[in-house]
Amino acid sequence: MAERDNVNVQQVPQGVGRLRVEHEKVVKGCDDQIQHWENVKGDYEALEDRLKTLPDKVSYDIMVPFGPLAFMPGKLVHTNEITVLLGDNWFAKCSSKQAQTLVDHRKKHVQSALDDLHKTRKNFEARVGFTEDLEKLSDGKGKYVDIREELDVMGCKGKRRVALKPHSKPKAEAIVKMEEEEQERLTAEGSRRGVLSEEELWARLDELEADEEQEDERDRRFDGVNTNGTNDTTSSSSEEEKDGEGDEADEASKGATTMPLNGSQVNGTALPPRGDGKEEEDNEEEDGLPTIYFSHTVEPKKVRINTGKNTMLKFSEMKEQKQQAKRKKKNGASNGHSHHGLHNITSPTDIYRMFVDVKNGEPVPRKSILKSRSRENSVCSDTSESSAADFEERRTLGRSLSHDENTHSDTSDGITEGDGPSEDLQKPTSRFQAFSGTVVEKEPIPLSVPQLIIATPTLPTIPERKLEEVAPEAPREAPKRVSKFKAARLQHK
Amino acid sequence: MAEAIQKKLQSELEKYQQMQKDVSKSMSARQKLEAQVTENNIVKEELDLLDTQNTVYKLIGPVLVKQDLEEAKATVAKRLEYINGEIQRYETLLKDMEKKSDQHREVLSSLQQEYQRAQGRAVGKA
Repeated sequence: MAERDNVNVQQVPQGVGRLRVEHEKVVKGCDDQIQHWENVKGDYEALEDRLKTLPDKVSYDIMVPFGPLAFMPGKLVHTNEITVLLGDNWFAKCSSKQAQTLVDHRKKHVQSALDDLHKTRKNFEARVGFTEDLEKLSDGKGKYVDIREELDVMGCKGKRRVALKPHSKPKAEAIVKMEEEEQERLTAEGSRRGVLSEEELWARLDELEADEEQEDERDRRFDGVNTNGTNDTTSSSSEEEKDGEGDEADEASKGATTMPLNGSQVNGTALPPRGDGKEEEDNEEEDGLPTIYFSHTVEPKKVRINTGKNTMLKFSEMKEQKQQAKRKKKNGASNGHSHHGLHNITSPTDIYRMFVDVKNGEPVPRKSILKSRSRENSVCSDTSESSAADFEERRTLGRSLSHDENTHSDTSDGITEGDGPSEDLQKPTSRFQAFSGTVVEKEPIPLSVPQLIIATPTLPTIPERKLEEVAPEAPREAPKRVSKFKAARLQHK
Repeated sequence: MAEAIQKKLQSELEKYQQMQKDVSKSMSARQKLEAQVTENNIVKEELDLLDTQNTVYKLIGPVLVKQDLEEAKATVAKRLEYINGEIQRYETLLKDMEKKSDQHREVLSSLQQEYQRAQGRAVGKA
């Protein structure tokens, strides 16, 4: 390598020298051409003079050339008749004045040619100057020095740029989410969570990278109605755009082990209809804990998500926390952010619980922006109650509704960013049952999710369309399904 | 082995040189045409400057033949078109030749590399 460099270094000045020589040749050629055209120009001017004076006399006494060596006296007559060679074997007989016009016209051509040549010459002169500088440079003798840095390719392995990692998220969004969560954390648990969140965040990022590969593989296995929680999470997360995960990671830092996955899934819920609509519901409620109860499936699935640090969070704990949170939410602020109500944020779902509207004295979880607001009835029902069929319906409906929600949430995003949803969205889903292990399909995604979905600009358009379709259906649907919660609520009312 | 490659190299080289000659021939023809175009343009302009009162002659061999001004103009215009067409034709021809010569060049370079490798091996053996 060094030898090659040396050879190159030696060749460079030679090449440069040759280049300079060539440039100079061109300049010289230009000079010659310019000289030639200058001569022509001079000739034409002399001709013009002659033409002007020729008609002065009717005839001139001249010495006429007679062959190559002899002259003889003669007369020049018809002084005004000039036969002009127009070019290409064409002649024209014209008067002196007309000839002058023609000569003028030709002189113009000559002048333009001359100008071009001058320009070229100037250009090449400049180039010669540059090559001279380059020569000096390569020699290293001039005042300019060529700085060369040999790149040690073997030594440093290219670091993977963080930006290229799928999990790394646009920082802005992450920061926004972080702020929001910071508020919650601080009010809820003080500094404890903060520290944990940072560590969690970094750990989460690392885990996410590892999980990504797994997810991609599992994505294949995923099918619409997936009973395996892991598959759901992985598939949904894999389906998720990577941008969702970064946000999730932030949220996850709060404490949940599988936060990022969940978060990504939550994002997924915000996305246009996916085959696994029910998973959206499921994942919302799930806080990354092993056990996920899908409403359409009776048996709870234990999902063990290897997220590295906190894989051992127990489901029951989360369940308790959630129930507590729900209770607190009920008593808590009317605003979506019931920080004081929720003290235990150990999972992403806890965050969602924060965004609750208090209606009729009950904390009504905010409806996901992806779900239609009209669908008051979309509830996370107990597993015991909902049938698989119901869930299918709800899923489709909810999904379409969720699009509608999305529009709303998108518009409100700016307002609610970092602030928590302040809208009064009708959130029919009752989240309180946090985790009875029931994953309700079609559960409206809390408003926090929409914020995660900022990156999907195309969504708003879809919901509008779907809204029309879904709106009529929703009211009809409402009376049909009455979940336990709804019933309870109705009773309360 | 090396000799075979050498022969191949020689033949390719000759072909390439032939191509280069053709290319340069076409180039020079095109340049001539370009000069004619400029000339005819000047003639056309100058004919426009004249009026019908002047007589126009065309040199056909040793004879100056009288021509009509309008006729002369038309003739010159036709000639211009013809020359332009020829130029186009030569352009396309030149492009094709360039491409072929490039291909030949690549073949040549690859052959050269092979040859050098063979040489190296031969030297190693010897």
